[in-house]
Amino acid sequence: MNEMNRMMLRLAQAYVPFQVYVNRWDPMKSLMMGTIFPELYRPYYESMRRG
Amino acid sequence: MQRDQLEMLKQIQALQFTAVDFNLYLDTHPSDQRALADYANTVREMEQLKTVYTRNYGPLLPTDNLCEPCWRWIEEPWPWEIEY
Amino acid sequence: MWIYEKKLQYPAKVGKADLKMAKYLITQYGGPDGELSAALRYLNQRYSMPTNVTKAICNDIGTEEMAHLEIIATLVYKLTKDATAEEMKKADLGGHYADHDNALFYVDATGNPWTATYIQAKGDPVADLHEDMAAEEKARATYQWLIDLTDDPDLKDTLNFLRVREIVHFQRFGEALNLVQEHQNSKHHF
Repeated sequence: MNEMNRMMLRLAQAYVPFQVYVNRWDPMKSLMMGTIFPELYRPYYESMRRG
Repeated sequence: MQRDQLEMLKQIQALQFTAVDFNLYLDTHPSDQRALADYANTVREMEQLKTVYTRNYGPLLPTDNLCEPCWRWIEEPWPWEIEY
Repeated sequence: MWIYEKKLQYPAKVGKADLKMAKYLITQYGGPDGELSAALRYLNQRYSMPTNVTKAICNDIGTEEMAHLEIIATLVYKLTKDATAEEMKKADLGGHYADHDNALFYVDATGNPWTATYIQAKGDPVADLHEDMAAEEKARATYQWLIDLTDDPDLKDTLNFLRVREIVHFQRFGEALNLVQEHQNSKHHF
């Protein structure tokens, strides 16, 4: 989040918070999950559809 | 494909995938020292395993096809044919 | 340049033949929000990106999308191999069979061929990165709908892998956008 604080936020511009690497999953788990970074993982269930 | 070969291939896939995810992170965080170090360790481990795989099962890259009696690069199965 | 490594990025499995599913999946091969669109869009945008980070991100994500294109092709190949003409007709793939037998082709789910009109390169990095972020979200959503359409757990696993990759790509394009906006703002005085 240091980058976000450093940046001056302007109108009419989009910003995505910077990720900061803390932990990672081991290689096999990472492959199964789709990323090495737990904080980027988002599960999907069909029940999540429609609001 | 034999079980042993399949298992080793999956390990390589896991290590290569880890390297790719680090690669993308480093593209936008080029000074992250910890990520750089962890990436290097991952790649070293991956290269070692690829050497073993190549020695036992044949080339993953055309340039790995050295000291072989024939051009094993063309051997089946090709990646989309492998039953995991 | 590109060198091919003889393995898939992910161990893509299917539980059983499913021609209907192959018909839906093909949209991620040659459709508007599919992997071919993604790969060609990002790889083409590389040349007009202004900073080292944006060139690298377009290059590296574009390259990964080629590997995902291969995964989709593998899924379709496994879902359709050994299908007879009769089976193809029953799954509403008779037209495809007439043109291609069970060969793959760059089409969407209704058989429309891939077109460069699916992608854009405005030459403005902010506009182009927004297009890239939108593309990642559309692909992520498409993978969610494809997961809903199948009950094959092996197929769901591979589709979920590809879905999560889109989320990670969005994050990287977003970070690249932050950096390029900072770069532009530091050059100009408004």
